[in-house]
Amino acid sequence: MSEPQAQASDDEPTLVEAAPPASPLDGGEAVSPGAIGGHRTWSGPVRLLVLAVALAFVAFGVPGIIDRYWLQIVTSVVIYSIVTLGLGLLIGRAGMVSLCQFLLLAIGAWVALRLDYATSLPFPLLILIAGVVTGLIGALIGLPALRLSGLYLALITLMAAGAITVVLRIAQFPNGGGGFFGNSAAGGASSRLPRPAIATGDTAYYRYCVAVALLMFLLALWHVRGRPGRAWAALRQSQATAVAAGVNVTLYRLWAFALASFMAGVAGALLAAAAGGVNINQFPVQNSILLLAVVLMGGVYSLGGAVVAALLLRLLPALLDNWGVSTELLTILFGVGVLQVLLTAPGGLVDQVPKDLANLGRGLRKLASPRRAGEEAAQP
Amino acid sequence: MPDLKPFIVLGVALGGVFAMSGVGLVVLYRATGVLNLAYGAIGATGALITWSLLDAGWVPDWVAYLACIVFGGAATLLYGVLFGPPFSARDPLVKATATLGLLLILLGTMQWVWGRDPHGITLPTSRWNREIFDARVSGTQIIGVVFAIVVTTGTAAFLRVTKVGTAMRALADDREITATLGVPVRRVEAAAWLGSGIVCGAAGLLLSNLVGLDIVGLTFLVIPALAAALIGRLQSLWVTLAAGFLIGIVQSSLTAFSDVAEYRTLTPFVLAILALLFFATRQRETDVGSSR
Amino acid sequence: MIEVDGLTVRFGGVVPIDDMTLTLSGGTCGLIGPNGAGKTTFFNVLSGFVKPVAGAVHAFGDDLLAMADYRRARWGLRRTFQTEQAIADLSVFDNVLLVRENTQGGRATPRQDVLDAVAFVGLEPEADRRVGTLGAAQRRLVEVARAVVGSPRVVLLDEPAAGLPDDETEHLGRLIRRIPEEIGASVVLVDHDMSLVSACCETTAVLDFGKLIASGATAEVLRDAHVIRAYLGTEEEV
Repeated sequence: MSEPQAQASDDEPTLVEAAPPASPLDGGEAVSPGAIGGHRTWSGPVRLLVLAVALAFVAFGVPGIIDRYWLQIVTSVVIYSIVTLGLGLLIGRAGMVSLCQFLLLAIGAWVALRLDYATSLPFPLLILIAGVVTGLIGALIGLPALRLSGLYLALITLMAAGAITVVLRIAQFPNGGGGFFGNSAAGGASSRLPRPAIATGDTAYYRYCVAVALLMFLLALWHVRGRPGRAWAALRQSQATAVAAGVNVTLYRLWAFALASFMAGVAGALLAAAAGGVNINQFPVQNSILLLAVVLMGGVYSLGGAVVAALLLRLLPALLDNWGVSTELLTILFGVGVLQVLLTAPGGLVDQVPKDLANLGRGLRKLASPRRAGEEAAQP
Repeated sequence: MPDLKPFIVLGVALGGVFAMSGVGLVVLYRATGVLNLAYGAIGATGALITWSLLDAGWVPDWVAYLACIVFGGAATLLYGVLFGPPFSARDPLVKATATLGLLLILLGTMQWVWGRDPHGITLPTSRWNREIFDARVSGTQIIGVVFAIVVTTGTAAFLRVTKVGTAMRALADDREITATLGVPVRRVEAAAWLGSGIVCGAAGLLLSNLVGLDIVGLTFLVIPALAAALIGRLQSLWVTLAAGFLIGIVQSSLTAFSDVAEYRTLTPFVLAILALLFFATRQRETDVGSSR
Repeated sequence: MIEVDGLTVRFGGVVPIDDMTLTLSGGTCGLIGPNGAGKTTFFNVLSGFVKPVAGAVHAFGDDLLAMADYRRARWGLRRTFQTEQAIADLSVFDNVLLVRENTQGGRATPRQDVLDAVAFVGLEPEADRRVGTLGAAQRRLVEVARAVVGSPRVVLLDEPAAGLPDDETEHLGRLIRRIPEEIGASVVLVDHDMSLVSACCETTAVLDFGKLIASGATAEVLRDAHVIRAYLGTEEEV
């Protein structure tokens, strides 16, 4: 065990000879960058068409078939898919684990709220600034650990999550009060960001969130298909490969971290304007770990996995609640999911389910034609 | 300057438990490569089991207290036996992330079984008090300090002197080669898991008394222990011990200053960040091969 | 032209490179020696992964050791690894583009430079295929393409033919011989295959236990008694 060694060791550093894995999810066959599904069973144009249709349905079809309560849940799924997207990129592409993303969400909300009370900036600008500030904070948190191993980074982010929780409990969310924190006891416990004029209603705001989410996904795609994506792929191969190719390892790691934090900040701002606003009880420390769990389960190698992760995090608890099942069981389930994904299915559900379905399909076909099954069995 | 003495005394006791937990984490990490982030959760679960046993009154009190320690050892050992081997060749980051799975399983179970009502355990040693340096010190707090020192010295001696201990050090250095030397790797690792788990159970019991039996709170008291372990570079038992005490003392002393008292639980984070910055700058000077 | 002066590397009690002074002139130089002689460590020093405790390395007049590790690629240092490190997730084209976009360009646009490098190693038909789907020999060629794209000055090849059958090794040898003239880079070749080294390298240096025990024209070095003894081992100290 030479990790994490940040000091001289007696042994020759085995950087490459044993091809040490750089991604926490080593052992899985990563899908080519930019693949949105897990499997390239469809060709490019067909896939784009399917996505366009799905997107149209999501934006215009869904609000019509569900009631207000579920619309709010689905809005939160859309918002959280931005966070899970960032974390998925961080883990799956850059091979780094962060345990404070959920709290960065809170920071994004805080920044947006504070700015709104202090200035009269338009909503899109609020989101952008919230994202950038959160990105910078994320980068600052990660910076000390970037030269050391990924394990140290995970630890620092876990501690940061705890730290941010403490500060948040003291500062509270801005609610129009004075001072730097902008919070007064007279204000309510929840703070809500006013929505943009073009999207004040629930349905309109839902579509607004879908649009922002789409922008974030395009941003992710641009990264993955471009120079950062290639640099991250080199990093995943091994640090030595990346350095030998001229990649500034620290910079690209920092960039991945800042990007994931940026996305969390943007999502936080959107959340502040969602139904019910935000209050500090929504951000307990363990939610960052739950976030990690669903991102792993959803699948970190494909962008679609982010949506699955958000569904697990927001839709599933609401469904269980509806059916009267205790949501603590979900925590247990997600814990099992983490172990299962790390052990056997690094690609997550997005990768695993199509494989399972394909296996199921083969199994069913065998059942349907036993003679063919016999012939197959006879072949080598 | 307010009178810090009582806070320092409290802080030493708290720090002692942090230090003890930190040492348990480090030893396990060195022997198996697993940084057990579920450490606090295991301790919390054990403490809740103790609470239930005390509440139900089926067994004598001392058995209930012992149950926490036994659970700590058993649960940790079980995880190690089940999930140690499949992960043994993987990156330490993967191994640590896997323990987060265990954390969630335990957290969900605790919340489901014991709900969100407050619970409390008062160890009999807490009722025993003494005045030291103008501060009331309870027996539990003294145990915290004593245990920390005993565990650290005991572990250090164990690693150096006994066969199993030496085997653990060899494992930490190079698992494959150690295996080829005929060392029963799985059994040595199991010993590390068990030992670490027992310390975890004891720490959980002590903390539940010193700090309170709050499920989430106890689970995340792994953070100060981690900070101590991190300052010790996940290697040195003595630095971890010192760091644990330091964190406890500083955190507790800050209570005396009303301006910053609310922020005192940031102490582990701040100290860990400072330590990391220090290591990072030192590494730039003596860069022997990039680490990942 | 690489000038190594008094290079010493120490890890605790082990001394992989011991006061090594050597000049690698242009063209293709071989670097041979038994296992553990320090050849890969030497490459690691050049790449910046290992810091020596003493000595200096100057390449084309520039102080190599003063540069940050990732900047050396930009300066013109390229290398392949003992365990082949082509990136399975990316296509051949992307693998080479990775290097081109992080280092100095060649005579043309990035896209053209990449295509030139891919063509040089003979992988144009596979340019868009994922490297993970290629065979071992082709993956090594991807590494070579990465090493020659743009305008490299020094190419370090660490056992590029390891595990390859004879015909692939010959093909690789022909490629390596073309590098100094067509790409304009000096080549340092580490390998155990003596026929490859003889075929490609005009000069060769020999390491044993971290010390330089011979250097000069390849044919003479391979006949040198000391070198043979280092490989076969004898009872006396060399």
